[in-house]
Amino acid sequence: MAVMSGTNANNDSPIYAEGLVRHFGDVKAVDGVDLQVNAGEVFGFLGPNGAGKSTTVRMLTTLLRPTAGVARVAGFDVVKEADQVRRRIGVALQDAAIDPLMTGHELLALQAVLYGIPKAKVRDRSRELLERVGLTGAADRRVGTYSGGMRRRLDLALSLIHQPTVLFLDEPTTGLDPMSRLALWEEVRRLNAEGTTVLLTTQYLEEADQLADRIAIIDHGKIVRQGEPRELKAQVGAPTLVITVPAGQLDQAREVLRSFGELRPTAEGSLGVGLSAGAEAVPAVVRSLDDSGMQVQHLALNEPSLDDVFAEATGYRLEGAASASGLPQAQGAEGGTGKRGRKRGANESASESA
Amino acid sequence: MSTGTIATRTEFAHSAETSHAWAQTMAMSKRSIIAIVRQPALIIPSLIFPLFFAALGASSFNRATQLPGFPKVDSFLALTLAASVLQGVIFGSVTGGAALAVDIETGFFDRLLASPTSRVSILIGRLAGNALFGSVEALFFTLVMIPFGVNIRSGPAGIAVITLAGGLIGLSIGGFMAAMALRTGSAEAVQGVFPLLFVSMFFSSAFFPRETMQGIYRTIANYNPLSHLYEGMRDLVITGWSFDAVLKSLLIPVGIGFASIPLALLALRRRLRAV
Repeated sequence: MAVMSGTNANNDSPIYAEGLVRHFGDVKAVDGVDLQVNAGEVFGFLGPNGAGKSTTVRMLTTLLRPTAGVARVAGFDVVKEADQVRRRIGVALQDAAIDPLMTGHELLALQAVLYGIPKAKVRDRSRELLERVGLTGAADRRVGTYSGGMRRRLDLALSLIHQPTVLFLDEPTTGLDPMSRLALWEEVRRLNAEGTTVLLTTQYLEEADQLADRIAIIDHGKIVRQGEPRELKAQVGAPTLVITVPAGQLDQAREVLRSFGELRPTAEGSLGVGLSAGAEAVPAVVRSLDDSGMQVQHLALNEPSLDDVFAEATGYRLEGAASASGLPQAQGAEGGTGKRGRKRGANESASESA
Repeated sequence: MSTGTIATRTEFAHSAETSHAWAQTMAMSKRSIIAIVRQPALIIPSLIFPLFFAALGASSFNRATQLPGFPKVDSFLALTLAASVLQGVIFGSVTGGAALAVDIETGFFDRLLASPTSRVSILIGRLAGNALFGSVEALFFTLVMIPFGVNIRSGPAGIAVITLAGGLIGLSIGGFMAAMALRTGSAEAVQGVFPLLFVSMFFSSAFFPRETMQGIYRTIANYNPLSHLYEGMRDLVITGWSFDAVLKSLLIPVGIGFASIPLALLALRRRLRAV
């Protein structure tokens, strides 16, 4: 398998998928995903909306049958042994689907019954989880009165009621304020430290960088990169020097920069070049541009980031990413049309810059 | 990971394997009842509108009870008690079906499917809530109408049968609504069925005895199982206790349930296969 780069690769891993495919009519939402997540790992699944992240998660959590391919979670086949898989996984889906009419306590009690937790243990377990996610004070309030962050935290608590060995978090921080996001990250770290294997989908590069031991980048249903963030960044290579010059001087500046390294895709109106010598080469670049009579309006040297890894792998940048070179960003829609439209734009812009 | 954590995990996994579908069904029905109780805006109309219709009918058509072919009744209100029960239960069942569709729309249904819950429990739990609410409604309408001169001639036993019939009607009509919700996943589609069900009441003996009808209207009413259900419940109110009335009141909803619940199970299976 081309993309499998994890250690101890074997299908006893907590999450293992090979050639996973899912079609919706003519649309290939997931197109041959190979995946292996090792025990005790936080695995980041990164991609824009419509890339196939959630569809993959739905297949791994038994909510969707694969069109082709095999997947095993917690040692069980997701199709043939779906019930065994369900007993061992925790799932917090994208929209924190929680009944707004019930209280936190009631939902935890319901979830406990669904997982067959003995009645005698439910109270202690609920109390422990509510305390853990900081909702003890709100436990008897209807969920409809909770903020987005509180709902997410309750969603997490619900997914942990049976102490799953594998936890799936589908975009757990989308729409959350920075404080709630940080609190959730902290909780993910804590769970992972306790031995829970976590697969986390996200469209936030920083989130993947902060939390994941390894990441996979998915685009158009295919995994285009997989590995440790540090490795992947190293593969991108030299830092990118991004400069802005007046519009009329772009072509001339491009020629000057070309002599210093490989041109890199950037946002319209700026230029990027990979500098293998790093910061030491910057004065020479500036001198050269100055000698050619160009006026540098803005200059930044950016170390490779996951954003660069993503851009290098897909040719465009994720929406909301901390942009190193200001490349156009993908803004997808499920089904792909919107994303493809934006992606085409990004490629056009990239080729124009290059 | 500590040894303690491993032990607890194993324990929970094992207890999950030995859990009962019964406990899950009860938990799901409790949830559906909580949803009913906490949404007065949805429930009050199902209690008020049938009473409003009954009051309107009683004031407009009371003299119709003197028509030839009309059974001997104390008032038109006594005749429409069964119709009020059915109207209320239809309202309640549509609400229950719509709630299931909302679960599908919001993703709560997925949460349930991602757990080791028995799939049938999800459906039966919802229907059990409908059934309980149907019983409560039937009892409510009966008790409200007694002070207005409706004399239940079959006595407390008759009230018990009407109450039970309300539950069975809730279960059977709820089955159709659940099938619709599972098939479409849309609360609007479920709510769209309401006028159809309501119209079916007018093609039955809900408001007038079949003896007073003629032509195609009477033919349809003859074949409409709701006519026989109304007549069973009505006999318990205006005539008194009879096994024929009890059988009609209980067996017709059971018969409808034999059609609607398998339909709902089929819709559930189809939805699960489609994913």
